[in-house]
Amino acid sequence: MSPLTVIFVVPLLGALLIGLVPRNYRFVIRSLALLATFVSMLTAIWMFCSFDPGQAVRGYQFVEQHAWAPSLGISYHVGVDGINLGLILMGAVVLFAATCVSWRIADREKDFYILLLLMGGGILGSFASLDLFFFYFLHELALVPTFLMIGLWGRGEDKTYATFQITIYLSAGALLVLLGFLGIYLQLPVDQRATVGFDLVELTKWFKAHPMPPGAQHWIFPTLLFGFGILVALWPFHSWAPPGYGSAPSATAMVHAGVVKKFGLYGLIRVALPLMPDEAQKWVYVLSALCLGNILYCGMVAMRQRDLNLLIGNSSVAHMGFAFLGIASLSLIGLTGTVLVMVAHGFLAALTFALSGYLRDEVKTLNIGEMGGLLSRLPFIGTVMIMAMLAGCGLPGFAGFPGEALVLFGNWDRSAVVTALAIWGALVIAGIYMLRAIRQIWHGDKTWTEAPDAPNLWRKFPFGLLLAGLIIFGCFPRLLTDNIKISVGPVVRSIGADPTDTASSPIPILRRR
Amino acid sequence: MNDPLPWLILFLPLLAAVLIALFLQGKPRLSALVSVGAVVVSFILSLDLLAQFLGGAMLSAKFNWLRVGHLTIDFALRFDALSLLMVLIVTGVGAVIHIYSVGYMKGDPGYPRFFGCMSLFTFSMLGVVLSGNFFQMFIFWELVGVCSYLLIGFWHRRPAAADAAKKAFLTNRLGDFGFFTGIILVWSMAGTMDFIRVREEMMRNPELFDAAATGVGLLIFCGAVGKSAQFPLHVWLPDAMEGPTPVSALIHAATMVAAGVYMICRVFFIFNVPALQIIAWIGGLTALMAGLIAVQQDDIKRILAYSTLSQLGYMVMAVGLGEPPAAMFHLGTHAFFKALLFLAAGSVIHGMSHEQDIWKMGRLKERMPLTFWTFLAGALALCGLWPFSGFFSKDAILALACEKSPTLFAVGIFVAFLTTFYMFRLILVVFFNRSKSDAAGHAHESPLIMVVPLFVLAAASIFGGFFGIEQFLAPQFAPAPEAASFFIKAAGFGFAAFAAGAVTAFALYFKAQSDPLPAQMQWTCGLLRHKFYFDEIYAELIDLTQESLAKAANALDFVLKLVIRALHGTAELTGRALRLAQTGNLQTYTLLFAAGIAVVLYFMLLH
Repeated sequence: MSPLTVIFVVPLLGALLIGLVPRNYRFVIRSLALLATFVSMLTAIWMFCSFDPGQAVRGYQFVEQHAWAPSLGISYHVGVDGINLGLILMGAVVLFAATCVSWRIADREKDFYILLLLMGGGILGSFASLDLFFFYFLHELALVPTFLMIGLWGRGEDKTYATFQITIYLSAGALLVLLGFLGIYLQLPVDQRATVGFDLVELTKWFKAHPMPPGAQHWIFPTLLFGFGILVALWPFHSWAPPGYGSAPSATAMVHAGVVKKFGLYGLIRVALPLMPDEAQKWVYVLSALCLGNILYCGMVAMRQRDLNLLIGNSSVAHMGFAFLGIASLSLIGLTGTVLVMVAHGFLAALTFALSGYLRDEVKTLNIGEMGGLLSRLPFIGTVMIMAMLAGCGLPGFAGFPGEALVLFGNWDRSAVVTALAIWGALVIAGIYMLRAIRQIWHGDKTWTEAPDAPNLWRKFPFGLLLAGLIIFGCFPRLLTDNIKISVGPVVRSIGADPTDTASSPIPILRRR
Repeated sequence: MNDPLPWLILFLPLLAAVLIALFLQGKPRLSALVSVGAVVVSFILSLDLLAQFLGGAMLSAKFNWLRVGHLTIDFALRFDALSLLMVLIVTGVGAVIHIYSVGYMKGDPGYPRFFGCMSLFTFSMLGVVLSGNFFQMFIFWELVGVCSYLLIGFWHRRPAAADAAKKAFLTNRLGDFGFFTGIILVWSMAGTMDFIRVREEMMRNPELFDAAATGVGLLIFCGAVGKSAQFPLHVWLPDAMEGPTPVSALIHAATMVAAGVYMICRVFFIFNVPALQIIAWIGGLTALMAGLIAVQQDDIKRILAYSTLSQLGYMVMAVGLGEPPAAMFHLGTHAFFKALLFLAAGSVIHGMSHEQDIWKMGRLKERMPLTFWTFLAGALALCGLWPFSGFFSKDAILALACEKSPTLFAVGIFVAFLTTFYMFRLILVVFFNRSKSDAAGHAHESPLIMVVPLFVLAAASIFGGFFGIEQFLAPQFAPAPEAASFFIKAAGFGFAAFAAGAVTAFALYFKAQSDPLPAQMQWTCGLLRHKFYFDEIYAELIDLTQESLAKAANALDFVLKLVIRALHGTAELTGRALRLAQTGNLQTYTLLFAAGIAVVLYFMLLH
């Protein structure tokens, strides 16, 4: 059995087992959840370490395939290459950390952990899947618990509306994606539908040999672009994200912002770009304009927030702009950067939402204006959060920096102006809102008497784990990029750009010699 | 090359920082020991390296950090005369200041945190100095920025310190925006970021950057403007004095702020003539402006901070005039005497129980003789009196200006006058005049662990001019300057400026109980006291641009939310309206059904 199957089935099995445990066995429920996510994380780490970079050129590793509905061309097919390797590792670590920090949940624990494990198992399975049907289905499996959890355990006065909004937006996005997938399927000749079917590897091969007609690409690509875009909060479809995360329980915000949201970016790289390269070329200009909306506009909105969760939410949306910018560069460097940004942002978003959840529980407020001087009271939590916030404004040493740098380098030849504006967003705007937040929350002379710091190693552990992820990949980015670039190469090649070079620049603003 | 020595020099301080952060939080003595030990060992190892270098060994070490497509980023250590000099300054002056801090920070609850940050800073600064390419330099550039941020805001409960830290980081970020853009530009045009290879490319193809050449140079220079606090980004450095005094000495006088000067010396080859001209003028302007402001400051550390700005302006001007060795020479001597001045000022502040206003001090010569004599040595070196080290380095810069640009030479001489004037004002008020406050009467000499470092630095400040730093560096920068390091004309004017400054200061401040100048020159002094209103102007500018944009974006976001709410409301209203049809009443349904049939029949029969 492939380790990939273990990674996502164990949490799902855990959910099933918890379902059988009586409601008042709270210790058993929590232990089961921790055990399941821990096993999943260990397997993911083992898989990451035993992934063979030498074999990466050949394609997927740890492949497992079983026929499921042969007449429709649907099979259970999992595999991992450089693109989803880091994502699965990050997802499994975030899921375990999210389970760890949920110890404060006291209300309907059983349902909470079932939903959390469904969410985590679902999205990990989706990232592992190489069959469009399972890819989509498992993502939906992760999405629906998100809505329920925000609705049931969410906080804040705007909770109901936030739940409503996130449900409508994300369902609409997912629906567009479904439409796009069906469109792709229908582009197959009838006799191929059973053999090629929904299998991503076969589909990629088929459409490489028989390019999709431009007429079909013309509507399928934008459908997928905006469908996936809505799921990742592409500007101007971002307004679900900040209030949604603001109201969500910490664990939900961690897993959704950190992991589930990456589905859209992953889908663009894995499905939309390689299958519809011609149309992708045409849309990158729109995409790079929109991602400036994320980087600049949402960054400025973040500056004006008074609520910590809304600030983090907006900053997280702004970070997604860099991931989109890397995709819009259509270059090997930029796309590699995108995948690195996805992994880095997963750790970072999970870490910041976990910390803000801690503050909400202990300090009883998330209003930045009411805080101040907390660093002396909460030295551990404060130090970790300051590090996270510095990581959020692109400090070297954390994984976000090499990711964003690659994106910016990769996009320079396509458009120097867009890149320069993005650098402004990365260095200056992000710096302003993060440093203002640090100043107002942690520094200052306000004295606190309540609000205890994380008391023991066990409570500190999840934060340390996520921070370690950021630092390890920040100091040694090659652990990820060496595999990413090999797997991204064919995607870039299929678009027609030479993977050894940057973008094939249609408008050479500054020509490379 | 797999020699572990270079790596040890770089990573020992990092190791110390990690150890302190993870294990030594509750152990102040041990954390100080680890931190001091790391920097001292680094210093000894770099002396060994110097010996190897003088013996003719070319040292470098590298491994690959990131490689994607044609983007290659190596992690390389580069040892040449320039970087070795800086390594020695950073570890040498750093070691002295670390030892001083053991006494100065005693009893502070954040003692281990202080030493952890100091070690992290030493590591980052060594990284900047040893970088072999632009990208690596940028990485460490950001790290020294964050260390500076952490240390300025070390007393984070003080709002002023916290604000100053934030201001320093953000102002530097503005400069880094230009720096990073410049780096990408260099990479996209030269295809590499390695210093040596970019230089080779430029030699092979002088037209490499053609139209963009000035732009590239100025963008890269932006980084130095931020880090070395040149006009117009100078505003953060005086505020940075909110940090503990050893931090001001190490980071905001001797090493980090000099990183900008070091960087433009390192990449000197990239600047063309127009860019160099702008650099020279920015340097001259900064030197003049800061010298003027220093004349009317009352905080002992702020006077020294403006003096640092002014001296950095000299160095930048020297680079702009085409002579990096002169700039580096002044950087080296300045590191000695400015660190000395700050540490001695720290000793004064320590003795005065944290009073920094010079008008509350007085007669400290009698109470703190050791501090006084060392401070005096530093001050004379700063004023450029023969045979103190500052004389030689300043003289080299003045001679250069004399030769290249008469206007800048005049500026340089006038700044020399200002320097002597404000330093003698400081010395007279603090050490000689009678004071009004009690604290001055109870002042006491500092403990030995703080005084010994003063003497070490005083010795370096006095004799630093004879080390031949300029000649050591010269071969690296063709064309080699003439061997003579004594320029009669410049030295003459320099001495005249010194004498004029000293005499004016004596005339105005000898036995003065308050500053007589504001009464005589109200308007000018107001301007100087308010630092030419830069802070106010910038606050207004930021409010007009960045803040208005942010407000607009936030308002737009709110409108967007309202639109979505309206959509939601419409959908819900439609739903409620349609619900009226679903009455559950059989008669209603029959009625609707019949009406429907009637409509269908009507259309069918009509056609």
